[in-house]
Amino acid sequence: MSDQIQNKEIENELENSPPIDSVESDEIKKKRRWRPTRRGFLIGAGATGAALALGIPLGKPYVHLYMAEMIDSGEGGTFGASTSEPNLWFEVADDSRIQLFIPQVEMGQGVHTSITQSAADELDVDWDVIEVVQAGTDNGPFETITGGSTSVSGTFIPLRTAAATLKHLFLIEAARMLDQPMDALQISGRGVALVSDAATRVDFAELAANESMWEVPEDEIALKDPSEFRYIGKPVKRVDIPAKVTGQAVYGYDARLPGMLYGAIARPPTLDAKMVDAQKLDAESMPGVKAIIIDIEDGFVGVAATSRAKARAAIAAMQIDWDEGRLWQQADVDAMVVPEGDGGTDIQRLGNVEQALEDSNTIFSADYRTPFAVHTPLEPQAALADLSGDKLHVWITTQDAGGTRTTLAEALGLEKENITVSPTYVGGGFGRKLGTPGAIAAARLSREAGVPVHIGWDRPEAMRYGYFRPPTHSKLQAALDPSGRIAAWDHKQGSGNVAYDFLPKFLSAVMGSDLGAWRGARINYEVPDNRTTAWRKTLPARTGWWRALGLLANTFAVESFVDELAHAAAADPLQFRLDHMPDNEWGQRMGAVLQAAADKADWGGPLPAGHARGIACNTDVGTVVAQVAEISLDEQSGKITVHKITCAMECGRTINPDGAAAQVEGSVMWGVGSTLIEQMQIKDGQVDLDNFNTYPLLTMKEAPDVETILLEGDGTPRGVGEPPMGPVAAAIGNALFTLTGTRVRDLPMTPERVLDALA
Amino acid sequence: MKLRINGEVHEVEDDPSGMLLWAIRDELGMTGTKFGCGAGICGACTVHVNGKAQRSCVTPLVTVEDAEIRTIEGLAPDEITLHPVQKAFIDHQTPQCGWCMSGQIMHAAAFLEENPTPSDDEIVAAMGNNYCRCGCYVRIKSAVTQAAEEMANAASVPSKVSA
Repeated sequence: MSDQIQNKEIENELENSPPIDSVESDEIKKKRRWRPTRRGFLIGAGATGAALALGIPLGKPYVHLYMAEMIDSGEGGTFGASTSEPNLWFEVADDSRIQLFIPQVEMGQGVHTSITQSAADELDVDWDVIEVVQAGTDNGPFETITGGSTSVSGTFIPLRTAAATLKHLFLIEAARMLDQPMDALQISGRGVALVSDAATRVDFAELAANESMWEVPEDEIALKDPSEFRYIGKPVKRVDIPAKVTGQAVYGYDARLPGMLYGAIARPPTLDAKMVDAQKLDAESMPGVKAIIIDIEDGFVGVAATSRAKARAAIAAMQIDWDEGRLWQQADVDAMVVPEGDGGTDIQRLGNVEQALEDSNTIFSADYRTPFAVHTPLEPQAALADLSGDKLHVWITTQDAGGTRTTLAEALGLEKENITVSPTYVGGGFGRKLGTPGAIAAARLSREAGVPVHIGWDRPEAMRYGYFRPPTHSKLQAALDPSGRIAAWDHKQGSGNVAYDFLPKFLSAVMGSDLGAWRGARINYEVPDNRTTAWRKTLPARTGWWRALGLLANTFAVESFVDELAHAAAADPLQFRLDHMPDNEWGQRMGAVLQAAADKADWGGPLPAGHARGIACNTDVGTVVAQVAEISLDEQSGKITVHKITCAMECGRTINPDGAAAQVEGSVMWGVGSTLIEQMQIKDGQVDLDNFNTYPLLTMKEAPDVETILLEGDGTPRGVGEPPMGPVAAAIGNALFTLTGTRVRDLPMTPERVLDALA
Repeated sequence: MKLRINGEVHEVEDDPSGMLLWAIRDELGMTGTKFGCGAGICGACTVHVNGKAQRSCVTPLVTVEDAEIRTIEGLAPDEITLHPVQKAFIDHQTPQCGWCMSGQIMHAAAFLEENPTPSDDEIVAAMGNNYCRCGCYVRIKSAVTQAAEEMANAASVPSKVSA
């Protein structure tokens, strides 16, 4: 959506909004007040009185907060519901620092820092002049999420435009106050000063005091030329890290209010279970128990008590009867995911692949499969709810503050306007915290108990009662032409739901396939006859968002099979890929990262005995990635050791190179864990795990070295938090083939599987 | 019962089945020590008990009544000086989401007291039982390596950073 269209929509919305004064109350009086400008900004008074605020309503808002302070002060927050509020804005504080309120949550991806970089550059201020503040739903309409590697790319231009405009306004006002021409002035410290005499100055707070007379200019404010960037593209230190090494960062599991209780809820014994009956028995008289809810219709039994252990003990002491439903087994799921039968949707088609395969003497075929996996952010789901009368405030570890508010409004029968969701630091999201049902349970118990209630899931709850990375099954067929090029390519892809289950019903009804599930499934190589068909399957265990969605599974299938074809053509796997690059921008970008990764990893060069390399690449959210894995194998045990992943990435423009490298490193670890270790199965109607003893994660012992090469692209920033996960499994599997002549086409490549394949 | 944490005595409920983690977090409100698994596997809850790294989620209260307990809030020697491990974790920009980091840092600090000159393999062996779901292992390793060097230097030249 272009900014112009977006702004037009905002103006229309503003016209339909009631004047802000019409909802005036003592509470509202203290709120920020906004008036729209012709160019789509919102300008007005900040929360601290005279302070100026300048903001932008983004088409796709995002979020986070200042939770420790609010909790300490016991402040309930205010309740803004008008669409005439921005999602991202600046405020000038009394000490002339500039607060940047941003909606995106900080979950380790460094978004609070990279957004500050863009703002500081266009404002032309020193780094410490800006203070990042996490915004919550009381500050704006949060209809979107932090996820999909879009936080930085989606805000790059609008944020910079707002910052440049604010700077321009400062200069206009300073020119008036100092009676100087604008071009004799510059930003200096926390204010504006004469270029020729820094002592002749006026601070931001003094400038902002005159905000009511300001007019936002109608002309386009020029953004900085990239050659003038002071922060963008530089390895800036993350703003959230000091609090994270001293234990001061406050996450949802850490949220506290005076007099709070702790909640626990009953959990179904199977995936299909329905609650039939529940009896309190002696639970009510157990020590510390303050409130019990039994709602058979909703399948909800909850207890609020003075400690988590006491709440759980009361749940355990109750008699709860369940109808277990069908006892699903893994074999049922495996059969459902096979990509065949009705319901396949072509997501890519060129030429006539059936004919091309028929005309070929040799058809290559292979099946690649990946299992269910669990997100397991180390901070489990957690929420603190304070419901008083018809007003609710929730502090929560979430990637979706707006969605949480909507869900709460429906579940509790409250007006959205009366609900404030304050997102905290998020102790790992990875897609799992796009769904945050714990908030509802905490709010119900708070209503019943009359005091704030915190619910923090234990590890077995976090493992079992959410949604999972879906299992996948890819069936591939291809043919080579006499010159050894790929002549035909057919990819049938089956997957459990990813996005489907989370979309509005009307949308999912018309959507034949699941764009989340087939992320990465289409090929970008030049193949004259090709087809990719996707089958979407609703499985007995709910499946959904997972870091990079289908990218890892699909890249594993596509890039492993390309490797098979390269070996069949007796070609070097790197050269084979380069030879199939289309002659377009994508082909050039992918070729560049492939070559960069190969060069850095000394592709074709000598290796220690028993080591081998594999290469793979992919494209995702506009970013291109290539990786070389170096592995060895213990032939006795079947254990693969990944020594090193060399990763070249080009994401258009890198805002924070060190932060981008950290995202590559993290993505690689996720990829290696998925390749070697992680899997979940269904057994007797339940998932077959409950803690890290049954679902171990990758540790430093298995972690490879990671070398990252960042290439600069066209200057437009694109996502970095997910794309580098894509090639990992294929690169490792391709290295294993080079080492042993054997392919393992099922993830994870456990020692047992490797030994089976070698036998 | 009384607990001695970061040099101060605190009163907590005398719960015979209670675990140290929840007394620290929920009763005393010191939330820097994190919950990860409740089974002593992931290490997010690591604190020092009499100078040794210990997993507070599986540490019964009754076993630490007379012990000297240290949490992440009490690791830095004073309000303006960070512990060398904390400093190294900033220098290497180690944390991502940060949830495991208190445990990583507390484990590393205790380990380096025991082994001030660790080899690479010893660092991996020592830190290899603390999970980081964000996958910050490359930087945890480099930060612990730096901290070891700084602590060794500080030990040879007395300074307040070594406190």
